[in-house]
Amino acid sequence: MVWDINGKMTKKLLQRTLRNYIVFSFIVLIVSAPLFYFFTENLYLKDADETLYLRRNEFVKFTMPTMKKSDISIWNKISKDGKIINFKNSHTNNKLFFATEYDHYTKENEPYHVLESKILIDNEKYTLVLRVNLIESEDLIISVFLLFSVILILLLTGLFIITKKLSSNLWKPFYDTLNQIEQFEIDKHKIPYFSESKIEEFHRLNDALSKLIENNIIIFKSQREFVENAAHELQTPLAIFQSTIDNLIQNPTISQDQSELLAQLNDSVSRLNRLNKNLLLLSKIDGNQYNSNELVFFHRTIEKQLEFFTEQAKSRNITINYSIQETIPLKANPVLIEILISNLFLNAIKHNHQDGFIAIELVNNSLIFSNSGQTKKLDTAKLFQRFSKINPSTHGNGLGLAIIKKISDINNWSITYDFAKNSHFFTIKF
Amino acid sequence: MKILIVEDEQELAKSIAAYLSSNDFVCEVVNSYKLGLEKVSIYNYDCVLLDLSLPDGNGIEILSHLKEIHKTEGIIIISAKETLDNRIECFQKGADDYLTKPFHLSELLVRIQALIRRKNFQGSNVIKFNEISIDLLAKSTQVNEKEIDLTKKEFELLLFLIGNNNKVLSKSAIAEHLSGDMADMLDNHDFIYAHIKNLKKKLNDSNCTDYIKTVYGLGYKWQND
Repeated sequence: MVWDINGKMTKKLLQRTLRNYIVFSFIVLIVSAPLFYFFTENLYLKDADETLYLRRNEFVKFTMPTMKKSDISIWNKISKDGKIINFKNSHTNNKLFFATEYDHYTKENEPYHVLESKILIDNEKYTLVLRVNLIESEDLIISVFLLFSVILILLLTGLFIITKKLSSNLWKPFYDTLNQIEQFEIDKHKIPYFSESKIEEFHRLNDALSKLIENNIIIFKSQREFVENAAHELQTPLAIFQSTIDNLIQNPTISQDQSELLAQLNDSVSRLNRLNKNLLLLSKIDGNQYNSNELVFFHRTIEKQLEFFTEQAKSRNITINYSIQETIPLKANPVLIEILISNLFLNAIKHNHQDGFIAIELVNNSLIFSNSGQTKKLDTAKLFQRFSKINPSTHGNGLGLAIIKKISDINNWSITYDFAKNSHFFTIKF
Repeated sequence: MKILIVEDEQELAKSIAAYLSSNDFVCEVVNSYKLGLEKVSIYNYDCVLLDLSLPDGNGIEILSHLKEIHKTEGIIIISAKETLDNRIECFQKGADDYLTKPFHLSELLVRIQALIRRKNFQGSNVIKFNEISIDLLAKSTQVNEKEIDLTKKEFELLLFLIGNNNKVLSKSAIAEHLSGDMADMLDNHDFIYAHIKNLKKKLNDSNCTDYIKTVYGLGYKWQND
């Protein structure tokens, strides 16, 4: 039994089939067991009656004619299941009935079927009492129960084995396909391969899935290429924009008002540049252009950037605390690690306040950046998404954390955000 | 000094030429691979600015051609393509520098100056500006023959300002020059102010003329009145 992500219970196909089989078998057996019991008992009683009549007929035919009155006591002694007693007045010649008698040997009440019939010995009326020991109903029920239990166990074991075999053979292509799709990630470069199936339904399923995946990959690729191309194509007009402004501000006749406008333009083009560069970076990471890994020492990368960002932090009087306890190298792309660290730094500075602090820790296989900032927890749902701006007043482009997340993802590191004691914690676990 | 600009975007080429021309450079502009190849085969330049994606060919071929005919022009690639492979290929084929579009014209200018200095290097590598002399190898600065102590950033800033003599430099251009790759990330250029202030103070303290002018809202300018 498996619990799925929605907390609902999911069952395997095999379990579902087996459960139905078990329920059906139970119903059949429960209904048929009493029927079987009554049928058997009926048959048995009929047989017992026949025996009684046969014995009476034999007595009447063979024993009675030669019997003397004096023989009665002897006959009674040697015959266990037959007695001749004084005539009992009854309306019919033959009387069949049930009786029980305590058996001293087995110490149980034994059920009997008894036949009383009128006989004549030496022309005197007597009653012949013949009896047959019956099986106790209890015994019969137990026997039937045991028998049916054995049948049930055999049946279910058989069903289980057959279903299991069927499911693993018959459903094998299905499970293969399932495994393939589960491992499939559209941004990875592995296309699932479905094994050929001779079963038409599975063949259709595989075909449909292949087409679906193929189409999605094409769409995904073209979308990615579009972002990359768009960012690329923007570079030339941006270069013209930038260089035109660079020339324009050289003009000695510009007034103060104009120079303010130009400063705004300059800021905008800088922002555009940054945005474009980050978009290009994301699409390059997507496009697997940073796939060459080597051993990187995190503390070295951090220390390399520490000076620069300390200077940046100084303008807002932010203090940076840095403590390393680990100097283990990790296999990663050095360019991406630099980008990762600088984005973490930048994020911690950008969303900080005057006289704030930043703490960097490298401990327990984790890199932790914590910083002061706004006094409530950030919305974690959108935090790492592209263009989700935490603070609309800043000039960030909303790509910094997306880039951090992306770099963590491709290295299979986890990134988490936490808020405690008025500090925002970003933890990357290697 | 003669510069050849091989760039198919007319506006960009014009902007570059306009900026460089006012700093004692003579610029020639061509906008195709074919014309670029012709020019470099016939004339000699101090520096060639080369765009890679030209409508009728790849700029890299011009690089290869220059090498084949044993020319020693300094070559700066100006390209929108920004991959490591691309850079490596260009450097292997003899490019001296690589600037990714978009770039600041001031940055391009100091890169050209540095390249030409390297090419014409004859024993000493000293930049002189009136009373200031900067030794690039020793990374030392003298004002009126007296050594002044500048930090690495201030030294770079001084070079950048003097290189762009009489040009208004925007804060973002200075920030990008000083912080290199990291500047892509920055949206706050306040740290420039501190560097300018310190540099100004150190120059003033050694009785240097105040060449650094603040251009309201825009940035700074190195001006020889």
